This record gives sequence, structure tokens and C-alpha cells, in this order.
Amino acid sequence: MARFDYLEPHSLDEALRLLAEGGDNTRLVAGSTDFLVRWRTGVWRPDSVVCMQHVPGLDYITWNPDDGLSIGALATVQDIEQSDEVRNRYPALAAGATAFAGVQVRNLATVAGNICNASPAGDTLPALLAYNAQCRIVGTGGERWLPLDEVFVGPGRTALESGEILTEIRLPAPAENTGGLYIKHSPRGAMDISAVGVASVVSLNADGACASARIALGAVAPTPVRAYGAEGRLVSQTLDAANIAEAGRLAAQSCSPIADVRSGADYRREMVRVLTERTLSHAVATAGNPPSYDDIRRLAVQTAW
Amino acid sequence: MKQPLTLKINGENRLLLVEPFYSLLDCLRDEARLTGSKKGCDEGDCGACTVLLDGKPVTSCLVLAHSAHDAEITTIEGLADVDGLSPVQKAFVEHGGLQCGFCIPGLIMSATGFLQANPEPTEEDVRFAIGGNLCRCTGYNRVVEAIMAAAAEMRESA
Amino acid sequence: MTTTTQFKVLEQNHPRVDAYEKVTGRAAYASDVYLPGMLACKLLPSERNHARIVSIDTGAAAALPGVRAVVTGTDFPDVRFGSGALRDRYVMPREVVNFVGEPIAAVAADDEATAQEAIELIKVEYEDIPSVVNPLAAMVDGAASVHPDLESYEGYGFTLGHNVSTLLDADRGDVEQAFRDADVVVEDVYRSQGINQGFLEPMACVADVEPSGRLVIYASTQGPYQIRAGLAAVLEMPVSRIRIVPMELGGGFGAKLRLAFEAFPALLAMRTGRPVKLVNTREEVFTMNGPRLPVTNYVRSGVMNDGTIVAREAYTIFDVGAYLGAGPNSGIGHGIGAYRIPNFRLRSYGVYTNKIYVGSYRASGVADMTFAVESHMDHIAHEIGMDPYDLRLHNALREGDVSVSGAVVPSNGLIETLEAIKETMEWPRQLEDGHGLGLALCEWRSGSGPSTAAISINDDGTVSLLTGSTDISGSDTSLAAIAAEALGIPMSSVIVAKRDTDMAPYTGQSGGSRVVYSQGTAVQRAAEDTVQKLMALAAERLGVPEDALGCEDGRVYVMDNEPQGLTFVQLAAASITSRGGPIIGTAALSSMPYTPVFAAQAAEVKVDRDTGQIKLLRYVQAQDVGVAINPMAVEGQLDGGVVQGIGRALTEDQQFDPDNGAVRNPSFASYLMPLAIDLPEIEDVLIRVPAEDGPFGARAVAEPPGFGPPAAIANAVYDAVGVRVKQLPLSGERVLAALNGEYDDIPFDVEALRLAEGII
Repeated sequence: MARFDYLEPHSLDEALRLLAEGGDNTRLVAGSTDFLVRWRTGVWRPDSVVCMQHVPGLDYITWNPDDGLSIGALATVQDIEQSDEVRNRYPALAAGATAFAGVQVRNLATVAGNICNASPAGDTLPALLAYNAQCRIVGTGGERWLPLDEVFVGPGRTALESGEILTEIRLPAPAENTGGLYIKHSPRGAMDISAVGVASVVSLNADGACASARIALGAVAPTPVRAYGAEGRLVSQTLDAANIAEAGRLAAQSCSPIADVRSGADYRREMVRVLTERTLSHAVATAGNPPSYDDIRRLAVQTAW
Repeated sequence: MKQPLTLKINGENRLLLVEPFYSLLDCLRDEARLTGSKKGCDEGDCGACTVLLDGKPVTSCLVLAHSAHDAEITTIEGLADVDGLSPVQKAFVEHGGLQCGFCIPGLIMSATGFLQANPEPTEEDVRFAIGGNLCRCTGYNRVVEAIMAAAAEMRESA
Repeated sequence: MTTTTQFKVLEQNHPRVDAYEKVTGRAAYASDVYLPGMLACKLLPSERNHARIVSIDTGAAAALPGVRAVVTGTDFPDVRFGSGALRDRYVMPREVVNFVGEPIAAVAADDEATAQEAIELIKVEYEDIPSVVNPLAAMVDGAASVHPDLESYEGYGFTLGHNVSTLLDADRGDVEQAFRDADVVVEDVYRSQGINQGFLEPMACVADVEPSGRLVIYASTQGPYQIRAGLAAVLEMPVSRIRIVPMELGGGFGAKLRLAFEAFPALLAMRTGRPVKLVNTREEVFTMNGPRLPVTNYVRSGVMNDGTIVAREAYTIFDVGAYLGAGPNSGIGHGIGAYRIPNFRLRSYGVYTNKIYVGSYRASGVADMTFAVESHMDHIAHEIGMDPYDLRLHNALREGDVSVSGAVVPSNGLIETLEAIKETMEWPRQLEDGHGLGLALCEWRSGSGPSTAAISINDDGTVSLLTGSTDISGSDTSLAAIAAEALGIPMSSVIVAKRDTDMAPYTGQSGGSRVVYSQGTAVQRAAEDTVQKLMALAAERLGVPEDALGCEDGRVYVMDNEPQGLTFVQLAAASITSRGGPIIGTAALSSMPYTPVFAAQAAEVKVDRDTGQIKLLRYVQAQDVGVAINPMAVEGQLDGGVVQGIGRALTEDQQFDPDNGAVRNPSFASYLMPLAIDLPEIEDVLIRVPAEDGPFGARAVAEPPGFGPPAAIANAVYDAVGVRVKQLPLSGERVLAALNGEYDDIPFDVEALRLAEGII
């Protein structure tokens, strides 16, 4: 039990100033869903909390062919899940959003918050990695852009410096013939922390060969990680069953899962193999022809195929 | 130290004294004495504390009370009026969608927010929509039945 | 035989009498009680699972501004109490802690935050004592003793084995000879997991001391009289100085049958003179209040080639944790299941370990036994090449058989439930690859125990019903329906009184499927008593003999001349000034005859061969309810019970640290109860073979539905992919291991247990 002060900036500048003044014992919150839970259990004990919710103009989700998808720091996971642009162009992210907690938490939690808390099991994170997300990070000295996989440096730790704020996430526009899916492995269809989550996004050439493949794994390493080895095996290849199976094996080899109350390490590794295959197969099958939202929702959390 | 906070709850402005670290749920229960919203876990895992924030269902245990000052907050106490129960409440009564009742305010708020945005749901939609609400008594059969009935009733009277 | 068409109130759907309060948020639970000047109570949990408390320094906590009182174990009278058969615990430990999470100090402060800050200021010095966490290891001589002075505890009986709190046994026939005669012997070991009751309302209470010094507890409880007795014992107060006010109950399922944490705010309220509220956090619910603990079941059967089971041996090890928080062994007779087996040897051990104490949950132990016995039945069927349905039908108990307890089995609907399942599930059926069907039979008995009821007539002809039972599962509504039916008045004319222990006559706990059956019988008899008194008054007023009168639809009339009569309203008004005075009908009873309840259930599943995960496609249950008092409520009970069983089968798993016994997953995010999204619609079939006793032929309802799913689903998995998983839950990880041939049998040294008893 640690009491804290509540601070409420009404502009980004004010937020940066409050963060700078407060120093290390100040915590920035957006949806506050992770924060309040960890504060109650004594994990986080800040002296003051800077609540971003009333900073105007940060709750956008926009799309254009040049910049791709831009997600403001206050866009909620539910906003993402409900966005037609996301469902049609970034189905793996829609799947990640729909697999995230339950509606009531999705209505509060933000994608930016999910990134900043850097939980290895964050459900939106593998898809963001697989879509090559870039992060706009603002500090008193100006802004910088970092690729998402450089933002994660350890469990719960990011490359953000003290006093910096993540203000936007940008996903480049996918190539024409692209498909993707995220599957969460968990015994329940909602309100669960994933035991394993895998997102795959593939783009195909006109001849059907793989132009690019990005595979990202959740909950099987200290941070969400890309399976670069598996990706490399696929590029320029025909995405047939044998190549996809090989990619699954490589992805499983590349991760470093732990055992906990949810499952054992070996099982997690095996699930990485299976889900990598399944997400890849689905991505290939739906490239350029995104599945319906009902299908995305079902596939994301289906317990048995 | 407790600080003054005005919240718009069920259409009424309430001036309350609230600790900076209070959740909206603590504020509703301990300060506004609206005890219909329940604390089942205080971790966002059970949904018993669900209220509508600008029409959207949220777990009020995960909302900082002071951050909610510009929102329209609707709690279970705000659904029925002198003319009677809301369609969702009525359907829960008629279809036996409740037993111990502790999760029911949260379920009714989730269903209310959901049906406002989705007037023609499938049964699968409903099961997804209440995916954030735990109920230990009913097995959900009659809860789902009640929500489907409420949706039909609301469409007819719309 | 009673038929449903005769009823005017029963067998029809009635909304709950408390439905309006509950859907509007107006229903008041214990945590909704706010009294002027009320303090908040917080508890300090033990960090060790077996240790001497060398010192507890509460000085800094007591000195914190806003803190009004701090108490530890030695502030309570030096008396042991017990929740089960033995007086084996202190309400708060005085010298020795026995599990991680055991409350060892309580603080009352102006608000919760201050109370919690004070808790964090308490310094405890421990001296560790050797501990034991695994019950099978605990039974071995030389293992650490959880209770070194066990034999001196009040209630201790003769047991066999180290750390054994209780040993129950049942024997019949010549078991050894029967096994020798059998064509086939089948042997299995099953293990079921720790289970939390999962009630949504955390344990809560408010204690207040009236100016007279009388203690009032606003409680979340299934057993107000039991809390009163428990409090009186641990506080050394007369029962008459305590009043328990049961508030709405936000789920209990057995967890709230007895004294829990009420003594802490009670003592703090007595120390401070102010009301004190205690509401557990969800983590405290998981770590302080007794769940069900893991059970290991050894089952062996001797079977003839035609499917006749001639012998059964079952050894069950119940982990009871630090204290016997509940009799662990209600499962003993269930080693037989719903079958006629002439020769058996059944043993059930309760074994102490240094982890959270065992509590009650929806027919404690029976679900564990049913998983073992019904999986074992399936195993037998496949072993002898018989259809699992046919095997069950062949061995099913029939009317006139003798049950394990020696009672003769009265008429019942067991066969009808089996047949209904066969028909509804279309058993047997050819399914696509990876899909399977599984069956389970469930058996229970209608609950008994002290039951009372009083019905008074109001001056408008309505009645007020008073019972001491707290409402669980809609029992108030069912009792009102029984009263209405017996009185011949509509439901709307029955008022169910809110009550407390001062006002209502003593009654047993609301649990074990006893309220509708036993309490309902008391209500029916009270209603009959009321009718008799109304008839007597009517006879007097109408000037005819009583036996010339009939009573129907709220009216007493002359049978030969129906227009001549008096309505309840008229009689009620007349009674006020009659010689006998206002009318009150009462009834009391204690035990009820053995009335079994049977259910058959079936699951249809799909198994994912790559992940091992199971998808439940259909779940069907048929239960003999005798008569459905309120079909909507009966189905609600059946649905809810089955879903709890599905959780037990697939996802729920209370895990304990192998070294210190601490609960590893104390949250709803890690203890996974089913959500709507995970479930198919549960299909219910009500079978109605009226009970020979019980109100209007009704049987108990609530317990059996939860027994079947683990075995039905495990059997369906076997049908789907040919592997038998003998350990719960049926996680993807376990099923996949089994598919890969990596699944290990559960070690169990049955020889040692037989030898200890001298059985060769």
C-alpha cells in the first residue's frame, strides 16, 4: 500500500514537464489497467501518477497508403479491434486485439500502454512486431522513432528514457498480397494471459512465392520476439507444407520459454511450432483476401482446431 | 489526502471527496454509496464492477476515480426508472438469468453497453461480449438467453 | 403417484423472489453494509508454512495514526475449535503457523489504506519447523508431523498412519474371494486437483457491538447458526450474546458453511467499541479460506466377462492441508458409484499437510470419487469389450438393492436418466476422426438435518414464511412455491421474511442439497399445520365439522355446498379476534429418510491432436429431480453445476508450491473458471420419478450436476483419440503428452496401506 498523488496534464508539453519534475518516482499511465493491478500488489509504488487520458488529440487511428496505420497513444485496444482498417489490412492485429482480456478491459487499455509495459505475453505485441511497427517517442529534447523490436529490452523494460513518452505507433502499409493471423494459446477464450501467442504476416509475389515473412512470438522469451531464423527460411520460397513445417521447427528452436502455472517449457515450445504453422498457413491462404471479423475472432482464441 | 471530485453519475452531478489512489469502483461504493457495482476481484478479472463510461462497459476497479471527471458514468442503479426495469433487467428476471446475483450488475451493464452498439447480435456475439464477466452460479445458459431476449425486445420496441 | 398436472404452483416457472433487488443492484451483501464510525480490518498472512512464531512486533502498526486496534493470536481465548471432526486449530495461531497465508494478526483502522499500511509495519520473527506438503509423503513414518499433539485433540479417533486425521471405511462380502473368482481385474489410479469454490463475492462481514454489549455480525454465510456457535466457542461468549444477520449470499458452494474470519472483526469491534468491516481481497480468498485439495484415488475391480462387477477395492487419499476445515470424506461410499457391487473394501484417509486447510465444496469429495469411478467404469468396458453404456446399465443400482450405507434403495429414476441420455446424445454414434463421446453417472442423496418453518397468516389473507435457512440457489423462491402449493394460494401471496438468528427458529446450514428437500418438507408441514388451523377456525365459524370442509385456492368451503365457505382473507380477519388468536403454522424435523438422486451425463468433444486441447461441443445431462419445484430454477442449478464440473475437467487447477505449499495461482487470471465463450449450451433433461419423501416428491438437485463432467469428458477424449488421462485437469499439455506416449501413471503404494491394516 503506497499512496500516490494524481496528476492530470492537458497537453503533451505539460505531461513532459510533469514527468521531468517528478523524476523516477513518477509513473505515466494511460488506461491504468496494468497500473492499478500492480500498484495494489505492491509491484509499483510511485509517489505520483501522471494520467494521460485528458491530453487531447492522441486517441486516433488513421490510415493512408503512404504512412500506413497510425495509432495514437490513447487509442484503446477496443478501438483497434473495432477498426475496419485494422480488420481489413492488419488482421493479425485485429486478432491480437480481440484476444486481449475482455471487452471491459479493452475499452480502457491502450496499445501504447501494452507496449510500454512490455509484458512478454501482451496480446497486441506479436502482431505489432510482425507488421514492423515503428514507435514515435517524444521527450523534452524532441522526438525519435524506434522500431518496436528495439523498444523491448527485457521483461517490463523498454528503451524509453526517463521522461519520454510513446505518442504514436505506425504500421507501414502492407504489400498488396499480404495475409496474417495471430493465435493465442490459452485454455480459455477470454480473460486469460496467453501461454503462447504467435503472429505471422506474409506477403506473396505474383508467382506465389514468399516476398516477405514476419513471425513474432509472445510469452516464450523475456520479451515478445521475432523468429528471424524461421522468417529467413521462407523468403523467396514457395510456402508449401514442407517449408511451413520447417519454419515452425525453426521458430520453436529460436525461443526460450519458461515453465510456470500456465504450462511447461517444452509444451510452450511445441505450441510455438504448431501455432507458427497454423498462422503461416492461414496467412498464405488469406493473402490479399482478409477473413471476416467473425473468423478472425474465432481463430484467435479457438481452443481446439 | 482526499480531494474534491465531481462525477456525473447516472445523469446527476455528485460532489465527492476522493483519495487520489481510489479506483472508480471504490469511489462509487465508499463515497457515492452506490453499492450495486461489486468488487469481486479488484484486478479486472471478473467483471462484477462493470459500469458504462460514456456508454462503453469498463471494469471500474481499473479506472482511476479522478480520471473520470469528464465522463458520463452509468451504474446499475441508473438503469431502472420509476416506470420500471430496463429491457435487459427485465429479461434477466423473466429468464432466470441470475442466482446469487453478485455478478449480475456487471453482467447487466456489459449486456446493456453491448446491445446499445449491437442491436442484432448472434448468440456467439453475446458469448464474446460477456467474455469478461465471470459467473459461478448459472453456467451462462440463461444469461445468454436473457440477453438474446432483451435484444429482441429492444428491437421490437425501437 | 403424484403427477405434474395436479400442481397449481409447482412445475411452473417463477421468477426469483429476490430478482428485482438483484437486477437493480439493491440487494445488500455483507460488503454493502456501511455503519457510522465503521473501521476497516486487514489481516497479516503467515509467510511460512510451518514455523514457531518467536515474536510479533505490532508496536509500529499500533502507533500509526488512524489505527484503532491490533490483535494477534494470544488476544483470543486459549481454546481450540474445529470445522470438521476434530478440534485441531486456533482461530488465530498462538505459537505455531501451519500454512502460508494463515492470518496471524488483524488491524482495525479508520480506512482500508491505513489498515493495510499498519499490516505492513508488523514485524514477525519465525523459527521454521520441518514441514510436509505432499500427502502421500506425509503418511510415511518419519515424515514431519503437522500436528505433533494430534492424539490429544478433542474429537480424535483411531486412525492408521502418520499425519492421518481421519480414516473412514466400508466393507461388505468376501472381497479377496471375489477378486479370485473374477474373469478380469482392472486397476487404476486417478488424481484430481485442488479446486477453489470460485464464489464471486469475497468473504465479508461487519461486526458491531450493541450498547448492551451484544455482538452483531452481518455475515456472508450459508450457516448463520453455525457461525454463532463457532464465535461463541472461540470468543468464550454465550450464544445468546451473539446475533448473526445473514446478508445476501454472493455464492458459497460450501465455502461459507462455518465460522471463517468473523472472529477477527468481532474482537476488534469489542476492543474499539466501533463497527469493524472485513472484506477479503481475491488473493486472500485464494490463500486464507479453505479450498478443496488434491485427491488420489486407487480403484480396482473384479469383473465377469458378461460385465458383472463382483468386487471393488478403493483407497482414497484426501489431502486436508493444515486443518480439517471440513469433513474430507463424504466421498467414501462413492467408491462404488451408482452400482450394485456385492463385495467391496473402501478406505478413505484424510491426511494433514502444511498447506491451506481443506474446505467444503459442492458435495466435498464426491466429484473426485466420481471422476475416478466413472473413468474406471469406462476402462472396464473397454477392457472386456463392452459398450460403456451397456456396462453401466447392467450394473446400475435398482430399487430394493442395498446401498453402501446399508439403506435399501427406494424407487428412483436412475435407469430413466441413462435412457434419456442414450436418446438425447444418440448413443452410440459414429463420429469423425478426433471427435468422441463420453458418459458418466452421478449419485448423491437428498440432504438432511434440522429444519424448521413457521407460517403466519396476515390480515389480508397473504402469508409470511419464516425459516432460518439463508437463500442459496433460489431456495427462498422454492420454499415460497412449496408453501403456496400446500396452502393453495398464489406465489404472490407468500412473503418470504428477511431473518436473523434472533428471529428465525434454529435450522441447519444451507448446503449439501438439503434446503429444498429437508427445509422444504418443514415448510410443507408448516403449511399443512396452517391449513389445519384454518379449517378448525372455519369449522367453528361455519358451524360444520372439520371433516366436512375442503380447502382450495385460498378458500375453505363446505364440500357438500361449495358456495358456502370462507376465504383466507375472511378467516385471517376473523382469526385476529378468534378464541385461538392469529394463525401460525409451524413444523420442525431433524432427519429425513435416505432418498437418492441420480443423474446421467454425456459429453461430445473434439480433440486437437497437435495441441492436445479439448473443445467441448455438446454437454447433456439428465437428472431425476422427482418433481421440479420451479423448473427454471432447477435447470439453472443443473446448468451451473455442470459448468463448475466442466471447469474442474478442463481448466481449473489450484496449484501449490511443492516446497512450502503456498498457493501458486491466487487470482481469477490464473485460476481459470469457465466463461460463456468457452461453453456450448448445456442441454438438460428433467426426469421425474417422485421421491417417497421430500416436499411433493421433490429430490435434491444442486450437487450431482458437478460430479460428472471430468469423467464424461475424459471418457470422450478416450473415445476420440484413444488415450486415457487419469489426472485433472485435462489440460492440452497432459492430453498431448498422452498422445505422444509420454504420460506417466500416478504412483500409489496400495500394498503399504493394505499391510498397515493387516490385509494380506
